[in-house]
Amino acid sequence: MKFQSIIVEDLQVAAEFLKRFCEKCGMVDVVHHFLNAEDAMQFLKDNVVDLIFLDVEMPGASGFELLDHLVYTPQVILTTSKTEYAYDAFQYNVTDYLKKPFTYQRFLEAVQKVSKKTEQQNGGGELDHMFIKTDGKLIRLHNDDILFIESMGDYVKFITSAKKYITHNTIKNLETKVNPQVFMKVHRSYIVNFTKINDIQENVLFINGNMIPISKTHKSGVMQKINIL
Amino acid sequence: MYNEDQKTAFHFSPELDRAFLQELYSDDLQQAEMVFESSVQQLRAEQQLAEARFHDGDLTGLKKVIHKMKPLLGYIGMNKFMEEFALFEQVCLQSISPADAEKGFLHVQSLTAEAIQKAEKEMNRLKHHNTQYL
Repeated sequence: MKFQSIIVEDLQVAAEFLKRFCEKCGMVDVVHHFLNAEDAMQFLKDNVVDLIFLDVEMPGASGFELLDHLVYTPQVILTTSKTEYAYDAFQYNVTDYLKKPFTYQRFLEAVQKVSKKTEQQNGGGELDHMFIKTDGKLIRLHNDDILFIESMGDYVKFITSAKKYITHNTIKNLETKVNPQVFMKVHRSYIVNFTKINDIQENVLFINGNMIPISKTHKSGVMQKINIL
Repeated sequence: MYNEDQKTAFHFSPELDRAFLQELYSDDLQQAEMVFESSVQQLRAEQQLAEARFHDGDLTGLKKVIHKMKPLLGYIGMNKFMEEFALFEQVCLQSISPADAEKGFLHVQSLTAEAIQKAEKEMNRLKHHNTQYL
């Protein structure tokens, strides 16, 4: 798994260093670099990341103010040139604290902590939930609540037994993000929670009365996955 | 530092924190050149900004500039200077008027000039080495 990250850092040299380290380690993708906390906050309103490399003292809002505004909890590695923030770092439960300038070795240790924490959060296994953005909010959906996901062009519909949620995304993108132990793509327009399948008839499967097509390409995959006695 | 292909070693100047720089850049001498170059540019710009903040009597603003300059000194192997800058940050916090911080300010300005001069020299050494061997 590659961590999707952003860098919030007003010092260009420090950000370039970080990008280089992320590239070198092969475990972290940097999706954006922000020179201030405000722009990062704006981005995080609409986007979910796994990891934030966060400077503390920047022009305008501080790194801690950004953390106060977050509506979900990605992992955070503080990057600062001061050691005085250790107490705050502890209070904010950040994953690690890198004092600038730091070496590649020290960076790797921090990323390994992120990896370890992710495993712990996922109960040593795979993700048991996902966050989706709908109606201007990020909503946590537990895997067990999701029946299936249906494509609607540039949007997808998450169907749970209680509600439907529409969000801007694609099946192709979600295919790599969902937990493969629970979900599988059965058609170019559908990903299903296969623990919820009620029955399968030829090229169609049923979940809570919903009929979902199985494409020829995915048929053998589906049959392998289900437990046929 | 050692370049495997060219079998040519590059040693950072002894006036810099050699061991740390070698750990920081490993074999990536192009990265080192780039960082030295941009650090020199940024230190120059921040130096002017610090001057302006001090003369405006804006000690909070001055502290912010000093804070930003501090890690730049680390990237060019001047860790001792970093410590001095950290001390001056405290002076800015505790000073009531610019006069209280003047002595410290003159000291960091002189350190900055020295840092720029040393970093420029190292940057030229790196450029020369990289052009010749990379």
